[in-house]
Amino acid sequence: MRRETAWRVFAGEYLDSTLEIKGDGAKTPSYVVTPLGAKVNRLFIVGVLTDVENIVEGGDFIRAHLSDPTGVFTIYSGQFQKEVTEKLSTIEVPSFVALVGKIRTYTPEDSGTLYVSIRPETVYEVSAKIRDNWILETAWRTKERIEAFLEATKMNEPNARELEKLGYSRALSQGVIAAINHYPMISVDRYIDMIQDALAYIKPMEEEEGFIETEVEKPKDEGAKDSNEVEEKILEVIRGEEGEDGVSWETIIERCKTKGIKPEVVEEALNSLMDKGLIYEPVLGIIRTT
Amino acid sequence: MATEDLKTHIEELLNILGDKVTAEELEKEFRRFLEYGVPIEQAKKTLLKKHGVSSNYQDRTLIVDLQPNEKNVHILAEVLSINKKHATVRGKTREIYYGLLRDESGTIPFTAWKDLEIEKGDVIEVTNAYTREWQGNVQLNFGDRVKIEKKEMEIPTSEPKSYKIKDLHPGIGSVELEGVILEVERRNVDVNGEEKTVFSGIIGDETGKTPFTAWYDFNLKKEGRYKIKGGYIKSWRGIPQLVFDENATVEELDVEGSVPTPIRRVPLHILVEDGGAFDVEIEGTVIELQQGSGLINRCPECNRVLINGECKIHGAVEGIEDVRIKCIVDDGTGAASISFNREQTEKLIGKKMEEIKEMSEGEFLDEIRDKILAHPLRIRGNALTDSFGVTFIPREVVIVERNIVDETFKLQEKLEGLQ
Repeated sequence: MRRETAWRVFAGEYLDSTLEIKGDGAKTPSYVVTPLGAKVNRLFIVGVLTDVENIVEGGDFIRAHLSDPTGVFTIYSGQFQKEVTEKLSTIEVPSFVALVGKIRTYTPEDSGTLYVSIRPETVYEVSAKIRDNWILETAWRTKERIEAFLEATKMNEPNARELEKLGYSRALSQGVIAAINHYPMISVDRYIDMIQDALAYIKPMEEEEGFIETEVEKPKDEGAKDSNEVEEKILEVIRGEEGEDGVSWETIIERCKTKGIKPEVVEEALNSLMDKGLIYEPVLGIIRTT
Repeated sequence: MATEDLKTHIEELLNILGDKVTAEELEKEFRRFLEYGVPIEQAKKTLLKKHGVSSNYQDRTLIVDLQPNEKNVHILAEVLSINKKHATVRGKTREIYYGLLRDESGTIPFTAWKDLEIEKGDVIEVTNAYTREWQGNVQLNFGDRVKIEKKEMEIPTSEPKSYKIKDLHPGIGSVELEGVILEVERRNVDVNGEEKTVFSGIIGDETGKTPFTAWYDFNLKKEGRYKIKGGYIKSWRGIPQLVFDENATVEELDVEGSVPTPIRRVPLHILVEDGGAFDVEIEGTVIELQQGSGLINRCPECNRVLINGECKIHGAVEGIEDVRIKCIVDDGTGAASISFNREQTEKLIGKKMEEIKEMSEGEFLDEIRDKILAHPLRIRGNALTDSFGVTFIPREVVIVERNIVDETFKLQEKLEGLQ
């Protein structure tokens, strides 16, 4: 049997999927078709591993979350992927990880809702640079799907053969047609915005790692180092105060004042920490570390 | 009926019947049927039967229309090549016959488990054969139930169609190609006990390169530019190859200066869909390492990788040390398995084998993870297909250093164009 392609799809697009093409097990695989026509059996994702928890006592079955700029992939790993399960349990969170995995779907009885998650095959830690690479690659592929979709809607009778002739892969061509037939409304703008949001993520990381070489950008580079120190300090404050329920925004600002950090600097740092997936806001105004 | 149309039908019939009947005679008979109001197709069928061509002829399938897993396949074809090889099946050595067939629509490879007593140039009517998919292409199989009948007729050659190299694929029956000979060498080969001279090499055009084999001395010169008319395409593990013989016409073109033959960059789905490619460039991410990466020992006799110090064929031997990386490269449109040899591994890791030998297995794997796992690679080489998918045989490899900021800007500009 041929190897299935590892698609590059943002969490936001994957989670929008409500179409599954069921195979009959070993010989014909199942696919999740996203609104933009990615016909996915396997995915390659690079994101921030934010949490890993045991669902079954003893650690045989775990649930983990992998966040990208557009949303969060849910990962379930059990005893059939022992190596990956163990690996996931040992990686410190948060970290950047790359994951190759298969689609996993669940439809509760009496409901037509499709829940999509991922069953991992391989997982490993990677650098921020690799994460940026993935965002860029996934952005290009998403744009390609948008174009394929637009081409198909231009046709009198949208069909996979004509799409293939335009240079799109057979799988994508079939996926786009399946998507058009299934999804009542596909908003291209939503996905263009999604790509732009994702791309906006790339630059700050760049500066931090000193990737920008122009003279003008250099001071910023140092600034980034400073803000790193500030972020570290603020993280310490949060960790010291959060307890079980987290810590309020006001408390953090208050505590930081005593350490000589200005409120506007604190606010900026909190936003940055949130972007990095190091903290989150379980309730509006309450901060917790991940 | 217009005389023109009638002529076309007569020509078609003559092509099949050869010189069994003259054009005048055939036309007379044909006109009579039409005068009596016999439908054209029926008239043609009847005439063919009258002149000794099986009425089944009209019910046959054209090669171009054959799909994998068809039963009771019925075709009429000319044998382009037939060869014998030995294969071991369940411990027994058997002879297999394999080769290539053509009709006016295209070509197809075949395999037979017994001697069918056919030779190159024979025209045969095949009934009860079956098809399978093999290395991404349709293949015809002659099983126990197959019936083969030799025919005294000719299969018309369709007018050669002009192709660019990037569009060549197995199954094309009659090709016209214009290109530059990049390499050519004369070889003597043994064809069923007979020594023959072939000329093989590489031909390129502005869209890519392809291997070729000429079974006739056309005096092809390196760097010469030629128009080759009437070749056909054969496949070796999914890689299309141009083959031509004395039936082809080769014209040397007088073109000044060299012709650039760039390396073709392909997305991986093209390799998966076409089944193979010759001398192309791919770019993809190493998404998985595979078992068998790292230091290995090879058999000094046959180069096989030793397992626990033993060669599958030669038993316990003193192994030769080697190092390799086996991995899956995927670009989001398709995947290929790739094995990098010692030189390529050393280049990717930035360490010589001597240094690698100093490392523990764990350390070496960590090194591979750091340096290439999840990294994009640009690789040049050939793509082959087997039942597990595409295997890429790398000739050159580099780690791609993307200018992320530049590419982000480029993409943002394109997105604005979409809104």
